[in-house]
Amino acid sequence: MQAMPNFPPPDESMKSREPGDDDAGLPAGTEQSDLELVRRAQRNERGAFDLLVLKYQHKVVKLVARLLRDPTEAEDVAQEAFVKAYRALGSFRGDSAFYTWLYRIAVNTARNSIASRQRRPLDYEADLSESEQNNVAARLKHDDTPEASVLSEEIRVTVNHAIEQLPEDLRTAIVLREVEGLSYEEIADAMDCPVGTVRSRIFRAREAIDRALQPLLD
Amino acid sequence: MTDQIREQLSALLDGELPKDEMGLLVRRLEKDAALRRAFGSYALIGETLRAPGGRIATTGFAARVSAAIDDTAGVTPVAQPGLAAGAEAQWSPGQESAAAAMNPAAAAGAQRVPLWQRPMVRTALAASAAAAAVLLFRPDAAPVVADLGPPPAASDAMTNASPTPAQSQRLASYMVVHSQYSTPLVRRNVLSSLLAADPGITRVSYEMGEAP
Repeated sequence: MQAMPNFPPPDESMKSREPGDDDAGLPAGTEQSDLELVRRAQRNERGAFDLLVLKYQHKVVKLVARLLRDPTEAEDVAQEAFVKAYRALGSFRGDSAFYTWLYRIAVNTARNSIASRQRRPLDYEADLSESEQNNVAARLKHDDTPEASVLSEEIRVTVNHAIEQLPEDLRTAIVLREVEGLSYEEIADAMDCPVGTVRSRIFRAREAIDRALQPLLD
Repeated sequence: MTDQIREQLSALLDGELPKDEMGLLVRRLEKDAALRRAFGSYALIGETLRAPGGRIATTGFAARVSAAIDDTAGVTPVAQPGLAAGAEAQWSPGQESAAAAMNPAAAAGAQRVPLWQRPMVRTALAASAAAAAVLLFRPDAAPVVADLGPPPAASDAMTNASPTPAQSQRLASYMVVHSQYSTPLVRRNVLSSLLAADPGITRVSYEMGEAP
């Protein structure tokens, strides 16, 4: 049996992979919102936890797919991680961001899955030589199913194309929010407009992109 | 769904929705599949812009998670109060409808486990069988196992609307002996009593189709 790799601690790995924003690689301001949803989920408002699943499903599936040797199992393992998170939600005290906590659960669930199948995972954070890194990158790309790769690429192209088609004020607002991670107040300062206008512009930008995405997702 | 609600949804994703607006929106989302879809799409847009490439969750993933939680929540609900002081674990009657609202697949997932197989119902069935055995079984009655034979067919059960006491006794004993949820002690007591009532019985088969 091959030795289990050491996965990176969540905080360090997230900082190293997704710099610029908070330690979860998310735009600013979401932690308090997540915390409020967690509070509601702890009071058995299931809709609140469902929102957290909707919000983080892609991040968790992407993370797990990169850790597992077989990415086709990613959704099963990610689902297990969310169920574990729900069952352990009572122990979440808010000492860390919700996504950091969820990240740990997802990584541990992936590790358990790997151990149970006695497979060697792809540890993309491991200290590898350049040639080894190239091999890992190639395998990561190779292991993803063609359907998943195509869909992911189509979504990326569609989103980028839809953003290019947006009026400048909407495009600026959504990019400052999603890419630069600015808060509504910071965007309002940058665009010299009220916060309410920022909120409306971001919403309208999302609606336009969503309309372009629907044919792919339905 | 009005644009105003969807704009609230967009602000919620960004953590910019006032706290006092969140409760109503969460409740709306529990019942509105279109809102859920929109929220998932907004999240996907952000994820695509920040970290393009890689595998993403397929359509219906969140609904499957919700259904899986429904399947296990009866066993281990959110039990410990964490951030919410004094929160008590309890089954929420809206859970399955919420899963169904996310996706039709969720409804199918929630129905994957038949009602009679749910943990609480299974326990109730086993308890009912044990209670029936205690109430109906009499050691001095005619032995019921010697001529037990195969269980009545479904059509028989449908046509016999009012079972006789003897049939009820046979059914109760059958259920106790066969139920994987009845305790070994109950099963042993029932069998011992029946065997003692008829010493001529040396071997009894309880499995359908097994040779006597």
